[in-house]
Order: sequence, then C-alpha cells, then structure tokens
Amino acid sequence: MKKISRRDFLKIAGASFAGLLAPEQLFSLGKADADRPNIVILLLDAFSAKHLSLYGYPRQTTPHIDTFAGYSTVYHNHYSGGNFTTTGTASLLTGMLPWKHRAINYGGLVKPELAGINPYTLLGDEYFRLAFSQNPWPDRLMGQYYWDVDRFLPPSAYSLAEDTQLIEMFKKDRALASIAVEDFLLPAQDSASAGSLLLGYINKSRTLNETSKKQTLAYINNGVPEIMDPGYLIPYLNENIYDGVLSELKDLASRKQPYFAYFHLYSPHYPYRPHNRYRSLFRDDGYAPVSKPDHPKASGLTEQFLAGQRNLYDRQIVQVDDEFGKLISELDRDGILQNCYLILTSDHGELFERGFVGHGFQLMYEPVLQVPLIIHAPNQTKRRDVFSPTSNTDILPTILSIAGREQPAELDGRILPELGGTADEDRPVFSMVAVDNPAFGEIKKAVVSMRKRNYKLIAYLGYDEIPDDFELYDLDTDPHELQNLASKATGVLSAMKEELFACLNNADL
Amino acid sequence: MNLRRFFAARLPGRQHVLAVYAVIVFLVYSWTLVTSFYKLPSWTFYLTIGQILSIYAYAFSLDLLESILALAGILLLDLTLFLALKNTEEFQSRSIVVVLSALISSALRFIFFPDYEDVSLFLAGELTWWAVAAPLGLLLSVAASKITPLRKILDSIAERAVVFLYLYLPLSLISLVVVFIRNID
Repeated sequence: MKKISRRDFLKIAGASFAGLLAPEQLFSLGKADADRPNIVILLLDAFSAKHLSLYGYPRQTTPHIDTFAGYSTVYHNHYSGGNFTTTGTASLLTGMLPWKHRAINYGGLVKPELAGINPYTLLGDEYFRLAFSQNPWPDRLMGQYYWDVDRFLPPSAYSLAEDTQLIEMFKKDRALASIAVEDFLLPAQDSASAGSLLLGYINKSRTLNETSKKQTLAYINNGVPEIMDPGYLIPYLNENIYDGVLSELKDLASRKQPYFAYFHLYSPHYPYRPHNRYRSLFRDDGYAPVSKPDHPKASGLTEQFLAGQRNLYDRQIVQVDDEFGKLISELDRDGILQNCYLILTSDHGELFERGFVGHGFQLMYEPVLQVPLIIHAPNQTKRRDVFSPTSNTDILPTILSIAGREQPAELDGRILPELGGTADEDRPVFSMVAVDNPAFGEIKKAVVSMRKRNYKLIAYLGYDEIPDDFELYDLDTDPHELQNLASKATGVLSAMKEELFACLNNADL
Repeated sequence: MNLRRFFAARLPGRQHVLAVYAVIVFLVYSWTLVTSFYKLPSWTFYLTIGQILSIYAYAFSLDLLESILALAGILLLDLTLFLALKNTEEFQSRSIVVVLSALISSALRFIFFPDYEDVSLFLAGELTWWAVAAPLGLLLSVAASKITPLRKILDSIAERAVVFLYLYLPLSLISLVVVFIRNID
C-alpha cells in the first residue's frame, strides 16, 4: 500500500475540511428548493414606471435596473390597484381589488375577515418571514397579521430617527395600536395636537430633539445634505437603508429554512432630496415633457414648477438606482441572488402633470398607476418580456404558486405570465381611489380606472365638480391621455362601462 | 414610620389631593375626548365600532397614566419648590394653575408648530418658551392662590370635578383590561 506523503495528507485534510464547510455553505444558500424557493419583494414607494429608462423614459435614470432586467422578466404594462400607498400596497399583499379588501382610506386597514389573505399567513411557518416598511401605512397593514411575521422591523429601522419602541409594547395589536398611539395619542409627526397632551408633548419634543442631533451628525459626517425627511419625520440615508436590506438578506440566507421578505422602501417618495452628487443631473438636458391641461381637481401648479419637481424626482431615482445596483452586486457576489425570486416593484407611481405633483387625490393617469415589475427567478440568465396587462393583485397568486401553496378563492389576481400563468390580452385591469368613500358599504364616491386592451376608461363616481364623468383613451395612439374619446367611441365606452359596473355591483360589500 | 410622618407633615390632606387629581383627570380626559372628535369622522370611514372603542381604550389607559404622573409632579413640586409656602389651603388653587399652565403651554406649542416644516422652529424656540412659561406658570399659581375670590372659585371647581373621577376612573380600568386582552399572547 502506497504511503501518503505529507503533501498528500495536507491536500486530503484541506479537501476534507472544505468538504465539511461546503455542505453547510450550500445548505445555507440552498435550503430553498424548487418547491419552496426564497422570495424577496423589494418595493420602492412612489416609483413610476414612466420614469424608468428601462420602460423608455428619455432620461437615463435606471442603468442598474436596466442591467438587472437583462437577466429577469420585465412586465411592461403592470398596474397598481391604487394610486396611493394604502390601496396600492393592500392590493399587492392581499391579491384582491380595492373594492374587496377595502383598505381604501388614508392609513386604512384591510377588512378584518380578509386579513388572513396575505403572503405571511398563507406561506406559513415553513418559511421564515420578514417584514420591513419605512412607510408607516404598510407597516400598519402588515400589523394586522403580526403573529405570522417572524421578524418585523419598525419603520425607523436603519434610519436616523429615534425609535420610541412604543409600538413594540403593543405588538400583538400593532395595526390598531399604531392608529391609537402613533396617529392620535403620541404623534411625533405632523399634528396640531396630541390626544395625550403632556406625554404627547414630551414624546414629540424628545423624538425631534434626538432625531435632530442624529441629523446634524449625519450632515457633519457626510459633508453634504443627503438626508431625506419624509413627512413622517423618519429621516434616513439611502445607503444606510440599502445596507440594512443587504444585512437582513444575508442573515436570512444563513438560516436553515426558506424565507420570504418584504422590504417597502420609502425613496423615491416625496420629498425628493437627492444627494448633492446628483444635483446637476438632467439640468438643461433639453428634455421637455408633453404639456397637459390642468385637471379640475389639481392645484394648478405651473409647468415650470412641475419641471423642477420632475428633475428632483428623476435625480432621486438615479440615486436609488445606484443603491439598487450596489445591492444586486453584493447579492450576486454572495450567491443570494441566484437562490431567490427577487421581485422589484412599487405601490404606485407619481405624477408631474396637469397642474399636479405627487399621487393620490382623484387623478388616475398612467404615470401614477403604471409601476415597474421586474422579477428575477433563481438562476435566470436571460431576459424575458411580458407586454400583456398585469395587476399588482397578481403578485400574491404568483408567490403562492411558486411556493406550491393553494390559491384562496378570494383572490382577484392571477398567476403572472412566465411564472406559471398565461398572458391574457383581453383581461381588464382595475385601479381605484376611494379615499372619500367609507370602507364599508357601497362604493359611491371613487375614481376607477379600467385598462382593457388599448383602451383605458377613467370613471368619476360621485364627483359632481368634475365635468366629465368618464374619460376614455386609446393608449396605443394617445399614450399621454390627451384625447378624451368618451363622446366619440361610444360603443367602446358603453361596453367598458357595462363591464366595470358589473364588477362594482358584484363587489363583496 | 418616620418617613410617613415626614410626608404627612409636608403633604396636603387626602381630600385636597383628590380634588386636585379630579381637576387633572377632568382636563386630561376632556382634552383627549375633544381631540378625538377631530379624528372620529375619519375613523368611522375605515374602522369598525369595535376598533374605534379599542382606540378609546388605549386613550383612557394612557390618560390614567398621564394623570397619575401629573399628580406625582404636582406633589413633587409641593415637596420641593413650594415647601416654604406650606399653606395647604392654597394647595388646590395653586396646583390647578400649575396644571393649567403646563397644559396650555403644551397645547400652544402644538398649535403654533403643527407641521413638518416647523420642526427647526419648534426645536429652536423650545428652551426660550419653557424658560418663560415655567416661571410664569409658577408665579401665576402662587399669585392666584393669594387672591381669595379667585382661590375660592378654583377650589369650588376642584370640589365639583371630583364627580368626573367616578366616570373616568372606572372607564380607565375597563380600558386597561381591554388593552391587556388585545395584547395578550
């Protein structure tokens, strides 16, 4: 028998040691199998598809997302169920249309009896489930099923804000406690008063003072003001947030079970405060968006103001795209990207037209409804494009399908094409804003958008101050929604109205 | 025993303390109720009756804590800053003015700086505001208690406010139970 040399012994020992480590490494990245894949949703708030170079925007806003799309599935006609956070996010998380889930008011909740229809509950404890929303409204929505979330980060996680931990005291009742404590009794945010006067004042003063100190330190450390102060007074640095997402994903990848993670990141939501290094971008680049008439419900902002805000928003998108690029690069290097479904999307878009900036209100035009949807499947190397219309109510059915779970009968969404579903060009896609309508009972005051084939119908229900009850556009010939065809294409209008009202009349009230 | 005697000698009588607590309870709970009426229309839009009542349960639970803390603050003032005054007859009126000053000052701060854009102004003026408001409130409280007609009015308000204890305290206890049940594992 041949003697083993010292060199061979070292080789064998090294290989054995590596062998001992390798299964662990493989196991930690490969706990998910084809039936139970890891799933990550990265949602960027107020991220309009119309502002992504990926979708044809003339400005180069998203080079990193464009690269990511090169090995992902890109959905070109993807719509949110609502034009602001609560309705848009609830549609995504419940897979139901707004008139069913009823999270239709600012900061509203999903109908209690339907709260169990969500990815966390339906994926079950076989998955390790993480929830993080910088925006307090989705945090509240997910608080309705807190007990099904294994790791629930507060909105202030990875931010510069002082976390009061108040809600942690009432974590079993997170959704309602958030309304009672954060909105009413002890608001540290915009509020003319607090329900609890003395403690409310002390809380506001303490939170603002602590936050201000951290902000000042951040200014000093970074040399330039790159802090974004959302209306919720949770200032943050995008790089901190994305670093936080990365560390959470690394932690998830090291666990011994498949994971589902939902990250609802605030940027590029208003206020648009791009870092100084982006501030000269697109300045005098000659881009002139199409001028559109003021909407009766808009605040009459000037074209010049709109252009200024658009520039800031576009720069903010470039900054977010850079952070996304860094994140993807890290995930790729660590092998996490190859081992999960990564869904990049938004809850609603943003408008810079018709005398209006932002989202919500009664405006339901394409830039505020059309959101990006780019899905990278494990080990996907080639780009696929889907042009048939899809809705963000399709996300939950798709997640359940790829995780091998049953589809509850309540779902309105369908499994996405290229991920187990089939393309349906004739499918109507609905969005609704009904902030002026109670969450209970009949929908009497709302604006509903219905996209079907090349046509888009906007129906103003209960808004007497808006002269035209219906707007109809042919998006193929009029992508900027300038020519209202309601009085010309009467046949199309009545067919779409009939279908829309049939849906509304059959809605679960 | 010595400690008890120490406090007994310096603190006002139980009835006086109760009357002051009643005023605190009346002010604290009434403020919560009034501010809740501004929120109620939006709550009725998207919350069920049960959910709205649960919000009130949180509110009354916190009000109970706030009122106890406010009373503790008043007694602490009496044991320290107002120790030299020692006049237990003036305790009620003096304490009511202190509580009113603190509440009105806080309310004004909220009203003057409601918006997110006002944060820097809110913080910049905070020290100055309280540097003026706190001594002014303390001075007013001493002065008010020295003016006999005013003191009598304040005393009579305090005695009548006791009735609110019978309403708000049981509500708070029920609220505590509700909050506990909603947060139980």
